[in-house]
Amino acid sequence: MRKTLLTLALLAAPATVLAETLDDLKAQGFVRIAIANEPPFTAVAADGKVSGAAPDVAREIFKRLGVPEVVASISEYGAMIPGLQAGRHDAITAGLFMKPERCEAVAYSEPVLCDAEAFLVPKGNPKGFKSYADIAADPTATIGAPGGGTEEKLALEAGVPRDRVIVVPDGQSGLKMVQDGRIDVYSLPVLSISDLLTKANDPNLEKISPVEGAPVYCDGAAFRKEDTALRDAFDAELAKMKESGEFAAIIEPYGFSAAAAMSTSRAKLCGE
Amino acid sequence: MQWNWAFVAEITPTLLQGLKLTLLITLLSAIVAAVLGLVFAIARRSPNRLVARPVSFLVEFIRGTPLLVQLYFIFYVLPDIGILLPPLVAGVIGMGLHYATYTAEVYRAGIENVPRGQWEAARATNLTTRQTWVHVIVPQAVPPMIPALANYLIAMFKETPLLSAITVLELMNQAKSVANSSYRYIEPMTMVGVFFLGMSLVSVVILRWLEHRYGRLGK
Repeated sequence: MRKTLLTLALLAAPATVLAETLDDLKAQGFVRIAIANEPPFTAVAADGKVSGAAPDVAREIFKRLGVPEVVASISEYGAMIPGLQAGRHDAITAGLFMKPERCEAVAYSEPVLCDAEAFLVPKGNPKGFKSYADIAADPTATIGAPGGGTEEKLALEAGVPRDRVIVVPDGQSGLKMVQDGRIDVYSLPVLSISDLLTKANDPNLEKISPVEGAPVYCDGAAFRKEDTALRDAFDAELAKMKESGEFAAIIEPYGFSAAAAMSTSRAKLCGE
Repeated sequence: MQWNWAFVAEITPTLLQGLKLTLLITLLSAIVAAVLGLVFAIARRSPNRLVARPVSFLVEFIRGTPLLVQLYFIFYVLPDIGILLPPLVAGVIGMGLHYATYTAEVYRAGIENVPRGQWEAARATNLTTRQTWVHVIVPQAVPPMIPALANYLIAMFKETPLLSAITVLELMNQAKSVANSSYRYIEPMTMVGVFFLGMSLVSVVILRWLEHRYGRLGK
């Protein structure tokens, strides 16, 4: 028994030395990032190629820092922060919007991608939803949102009870569930809903944006709390790219506004 | 990572709701699997080939494809042809149908174990097919099947987390959503394990008793 415990302790030991330095990443030649599959924030093509605004920005910055490759793994929004803390990846670049409680748990970079929230509803918005509070007020309304995503939290905070907030595994399922009438509303950021609508090309659906009462949120690359040195190095390159216009050149083709990200700061968004 | 009892106390009511749903799904699916399995088993033995062949094919088809794929099909594809089932119903049908194909095999083994003489005796006493099944074959075939059926019941219980893929908020899904907002996995997942273990142990005891009570018929 004692031997087993000892082995377990030895196995567990490396996990406690999690702090990653830029030098470690340079030496191994790649950085592990967590992404979702929610275009245009993060996208995985049918051939497995990772794109999307957030991984593209991260790829460029890490290249400048001397880490030539990013290895992306798809994760649920809710599993990203626990996965980061458990050392499964080194950074989250997935459009995980900054909210004060997330800022408590991870070290965010300066803002990267900003977007407001939107609803996907059947044509004509039959139930007339304009805000999360409207959904809370209608006792039969159901809303779909990604598990652990900002929209799920916003819906719950607005008072929609747990059993009416349906956790939808991915964008395609959410779209299908609105088409089939399983949920009344599917909520994602504006650009994600636009992307879904373009791909679905279904005249019976409509986008409501921006959602009233939900401010514009911005994401940042998220690092472990103890990896602030890595975060600061990331921030320095990000600032240079924002300055030179290269940042805008990467994110604007995806529809994001560089000006929005540059007009705000982590301190403001995290409520520091 | 530290175990936090206050957090456990806070999340237990939420998890218990999930557990209730998990038990409900298991119970309903078990009923579907038990009844449908018997139908499958008897239909496969039918002397009418037009009944036996398609049913055999259906059973092999369902048994040969993963439950998760079937659940996606029932939930996301069937609405395209106008069949829109609520998540819970879709889940119960998916699980029940899938396990019915397993229980059908158990029934088949049980039925084939009834000595030929019993069939002949039933015919000799001029019983109808229905009477033969209801009064002679099934009462003798079912008790020895109880342990095998119980195995599938427990297996089914432990597969309910698959239903989280079709948005059923069962125990595992509740635990995930708790973890999503607290960024902690250790307590919710441990509790899920404890609940599953607890319920499995209880059902083992109950099934042992059932076996003891009914399983010795004819010995």
